Amino acid sequence: MLETLSLFLGIWLLFLLLAIYYLSQSPDGSVGRFRESVSGHLSAESRAKALLREMLTESQYQQLIKFGYLEIPSPSIDNRVYRVPGSGGLVKVYERGCAVMELCLQPAEPLPDGDVVVMHKLMIEGNEQEYLQKANHFAPGIISLRCQHL
Amino acid sequence: MGMLRIMSRRGDDRITWDSQKVEANDPEAVAAIEEAERIFEKARQEGATAFKVEADSTVKRIDEFDRTAEQTVIVPLVVGG
Repeated sequence: MLETLSLFLGIWLLFLLLAIYYLSQSPDGSVGRFRESVSGHLSAESRAKALLREMLTESQYQQLIKFGYLEIPSPSIDNRVYRVPGSGGLVKVYERGCAVMELCLQPAEPLPDGDVVVMHKLMIEGNEQEYLQKANHFAPGIISLRCQHL
Repeated sequence: MGMLRIMSRRGDDRITWDSQKVEANDPEAVAAIEEAERIFEKARQEGATAFKVEADSTVKRIDEFDRTAEQTVIVPLVVGG
C-alpha cells in the first residue's frame, strides 16, 4: 500500500516537474511573468522582514520567531497587552493576563506579513485610540473566554 | 540622514536624503526631500497614516511632513475587518 502511494506521488512529482520545465520553455513569456511574480513576492517578503528587524527590539523579534506573535504593551491602559499574530489573524487583547477582546484591522491593500505586524505596532504605539476606533471588536472566542494567562 | 518608507504590496519603498546636504541646498538632496514630501501628501490624501519613528524607537503619528524626522513610515489605508 505504502509502495503504491509512493509510486503515485513520484509520478505526480515527475509530471509536475515536466510541466514546470515545458512552461519555462514557453515562448509567450507567461512563465516569465510567473517567475517575476514569484520573485517579486519573495523580494517583498524579504524587504518586509528587514523592516520588521529594524522596527522590533531583539527580544520582540525573538518572541515573534519563537511564539509566532508579538506582544505590544498598551501605551495608555495599564496592564493591557495586544498580541499581534505574525502571520495574519485577529489581534488578541489581554488585561492582567485575561483575554478581553479580539480586534480585526487590516490594510486595504495586501501587505507582506512582516509589514502587517509593523503596521499594528506603529498604530498601537503611535495612536492607540484611533487604532481602537478603526478596528472591529469581537468578544474573545469560547476557548479564550477562560482566563488565559500570558 | 532622513528616510521616508512607504509600505505597499511590494514591501516598503524608500526615499532617503542627507539632511545636511538639504540645508546646504544640494540639488539632489533637495529633490529627494521634495519628492518625499509629495509622496507623503499624496498618501495622506489617499487615507494613509504616517508615523515618525525616532532613533529610540518612539513612535508618533504625524499629519504633516516633518523634514527633521529621522524616519517616517507611511502605512496605507486600513479598515476594520
